Amino acid sequence: MLAENITAIVARNERWTGAAASEPYEAGWAREAVVFIRALKQPGGKQPVVRVEISPDGMRWLPEGAHVPMPTTEDGMAILRVSHFGNWLRVAADFAPDAHSTVLVTIHLKG
Amino acid sequence: MTTQTSHDDMARALRLAMLQANPDLSRFDPLSRIISHDDFSRGHCGWSQLVGNYEDDLDSMLPGYAQHSSAMLSTLAHWDAGSHGGMDSSYALKVATRPRIGAQNVVIKRHTFRKRGPIRFEAYVTFKPEATELRLSEADVRSIGFLFDLQGGDQDGATHRVMPHLRYLNAENGALAQKWQFKSETTPFKPVGHTNSTATHYHLAPEGWRDLPGASQRLCYNEIPTKVNWTYLRFDFDLETMQATGFRCNDRVFDVGGFEPISIPAMKNLWCMLNFCMFVETDTAKRAFLYVDSICISGDF
Repeated sequence: MLAENITAIVARNERWTGAAASEPYEAGWAREAVVFIRALKQPGGKQPVVRVEISPDGMRWLPEGAHVPMPTTEDGMAILRVSHFGNWLRVAADFAPDAHSTVLVTIHLKG
Repeated sequence: MTTQTSHDDMARALRLAMLQANPDLSRFDPLSRIISHDDFSRGHCGWSQLVGNYEDDLDSMLPGYAQHSSAMLSTLAHWDAGSHGGMDSSYALKVATRPRIGAQNVVIKRHTFRKRGPIRFEAYVTFKPEATELRLSEADVRSIGFLFDLQGGDQDGATHRVMPHLRYLNAENGALAQKWQFKSETTPFKPVGHTNSTATHYHLAPEGWRDLPGASQRLCYNEIPTKVNWTYLRFDFDLETMQATGFRCNDRVFDVGGFEPISIPAMKNLWCMLNFCMFVETDTAKRAFLYVDSICISGDF
């Protein structure tokens, strides 16, 4: 049996401002996840760090530890790799009041 | 009795016995050929996000489609009781809306057909709102439903793209409705981009839903947001006449004599299309979840 391998699009052409996060995604079957964050348009303002968050219930979130700077140019990309994340997965970033980014967030799962 | 009749009777009896003895299929009543059987313990089984049409720029996608996100494999894990699980595996397909009043999400499986004849769609499903409150929340999910997207073959005289839609309107504006509805109209077509090669319409717009005769049905919703029960759905459609021929939900059989699908002029790239969608819509600023344990799509050909 081949391993399951799924690409999920959890944010597409979404303009992130303030406290931004991708929609909760359940992936308890997967042993590893790679998350790409692509800036579809030129980001505005100082770009924050984007972090992986995990959750016991899909409603309460904690930082998992993995984090990386948000892309600073149009079509720039950030990548996060994570394992041992339990079931729930999302990425989140806190933008300053004058900052924004329009993102494509894709999660690539294998298990 | 002729030898051929006897042979046909034996073949039917053998097929029925094999179906009924198979734990994966015994809960379905498929037509003679199973086109796909998905129980989501083997992955997403080809059910993917319905993405809207666009050209050059994602901003050209209609907002109704832009809100969609990918379905997931879920164990129906709840904060108070842990994983609920599916009917005979840990997993079900989960379609989740965003936490915004009226938000929708749609999952789709795309086939084509070999013969214009009867098809049958069967599924075991359930729905709940996100358990963000310690209350019953029975009016938080607006609707769940399914639709087909169909078009005849390029040489069989097909003139229309036909889209039967059926939904369970659970609640609207905070009031329980608990009834089955169909719709026979979509929004006007709108060109996408500037090359005249792509167009779009929003067939899940809130307008135009009409009650099936005897539409009311109270389902097993259970007593708190984290308890679910699986519900059986079966919808029959004839690709030859492009008419609904039957609808059943659990113990109730509904009259589809007045059912009308959406019908729009045939499109130039969709011959023999046989698409199936399932959708969910929230009535509050709370995520609504459609869970699908298993689906069996079959046909007579």
